[in-house]
Amino acid sequence: MKTAWIGLWWFLTVACMVWYSTVTIYVAIKGVSDIRQMLAHLGKQKEDAGKAQ
Amino acid sequence: MTHFSWPLDGSIVGLYILATMVAGIMVRKYVGKVEHFLLAGREMNIHLGIASLAATEFGIVTCMYAAQNGYEKGFAGATPGILYALAMFFVGWTGFCIKPLRDSGVMTIPELLDRQFGSRIRWMSGVVIVLGGLLNMGVFLRTGGDFLVSTCGFNPAYLEMTMTALLVGVAAYTILGGMLSVLVTDFLQFIVMSIGLIVVTALILSKIGWSTLVATVDKHYGAGGFNPFINPTMGWEYVLFNAMLNLAAVLTWQTIIQRVLAAKNSNASRKIFTGTSFFFVCRFLIPGIWGIAALATLAPSVVGGKSLLAMPLFLGSFVPIGFMGLLIAAMLAADMSTDSSYMLTWGSVIYNDILAPFRRGQQWSEKRGLLWNRMIIALIGIFLLFYGLWYKLEGDLWTYLGVTGTIYLSSMSVLLIACCYWKRANSWGAGAAIVIGAIVPTTYIAFTLPICEELLPGIAGLTKTIGPYYSGIATYILAALAMIIGSLLKPPSKKIFESEVSA
Repeated sequence: MKTAWIGLWWFLTVACMVWYSTVTIYVAIKGVSDIRQMLAHLGKQKEDAGKAQ
Repeated sequence: MTHFSWPLDGSIVGLYILATMVAGIMVRKYVGKVEHFLLAGREMNIHLGIASLAATEFGIVTCMYAAQNGYEKGFAGATPGILYALAMFFVGWTGFCIKPLRDSGVMTIPELLDRQFGSRIRWMSGVVIVLGGLLNMGVFLRTGGDFLVSTCGFNPAYLEMTMTALLVGVAAYTILGGMLSVLVTDFLQFIVMSIGLIVVTALILSKIGWSTLVATVDKHYGAGGFNPFINPTMGWEYVLFNAMLNLAAVLTWQTIIQRVLAAKNSNASRKIFTGTSFFFVCRFLIPGIWGIAALATLAPSVVGGKSLLAMPLFLGSFVPIGFMGLLIAAMLAADMSTDSSYMLTWGSVIYNDILAPFRRGQQWSEKRGLLWNRMIIALIGIFLLFYGLWYKLEGDLWTYLGVTGTIYLSSMSVLLIACCYWKRANSWGAGAAIVIGAIVPTTYIAFTLPICEELLPGIAGLTKTIGPYYSGIATYILAALAMIIGSLLKPPSKKIFESEVSA
């Protein structure tokens, strides 16, 4: 039983390292375009609001 | 003696802080409305949401307690992380509560509660959320300072000044850019934090080794160091209490919910939840491994009974020069993202719900709304400074955090679930759930105080026998029962009565 639990923690530790290494890179790349899109939309909204006034 | 080098490590940390401040302040020009300030105009997409949620939910205080769990309980101490991840995945996968919440278009949970339970319950919920949240975060700053002092070997006399300067910087960009600044800086902080966590954990696994960590846990805690159900300080009640606590936190913790409400739509918010879910295992297991490494390498005399400081003391002597700068930058990143988000999200409840009666009957201009939000954040910053840093909290910190959190999580989770899925739920039930959710944990704490042990030894003994986990489980069950009984006692409204008759 103890061996099974040790196996679980070993698996989770490896998964954490893999998750962090891959997701950080993926999110870092994709997140930049998310920020650009978000700021572009908000900039346009502000511009439209300015024109309406 | 720590490995922190001012010229090399200090430069890395300084550069990181400067970059964060500049990025945070630069986006302020996009803020034109209250909705931009509080929810980034609901333009947040999935990847930015994952980075922001992960950065916010990992602060120095989290790292310290997770490491303490590893030091005191072994690998089993990371069990709450697994439960948190399961709760997050379940809610994201099914859309339980978060779908109706996001689709409703509200700015806060109490605003949604107003639609079913009325404005009084909205106001009460706002007060409970703010009290629980602010008292909870009141201790973050000092814990962060303790970490820096232990890891870098700073002179403790400069702790207040250092943390004050950091808080002023974080407050400045949060006040100027609101949620936009929080999201952009969270993104940078997520990257720096992740690199730091990976590098330090890889160093521990390569230098100390997996087998040494396992042998250390086995030597100190036996099978209970791996299996939470047979650990004498945990057991099934610990697992069940944490399962309830974590599900409630996923559903109602203000910093998490603000990401749901800022997401582009309910689908994006669900994907943010499923995408971030495994992070919560990392959130407990990685610092837990650091705590176990401290247990394996530090002599008990070095730790001196203060298990909370074992991990920072270990890192101070273990992490080499150069990497130390990365570690401190990562930890500051974790702390700054948490502080900025906490100030903004709890501020949003004060503005949107507690101040709601003052706006009734009159429409505040966007300019006036933004000014009020900025003032509220500044006031929260001042509160944090005096309460959390200059005022020294006496007593058990963990109990303090647990109680302040449970007071709000137990009732708000019940109210939110009832609001989304039970038409018969009404203000009587909601009010009863809020009162019961606050009374049970505070009574438990009152009976564990030393003065009660002197005056009422019988009750104090019984309270100790019950313990914090059974008391916590009871709080959630009683809050749910209060909602059901209270709602059934109140005669149904005409609308509900007619719908029940036609059904």
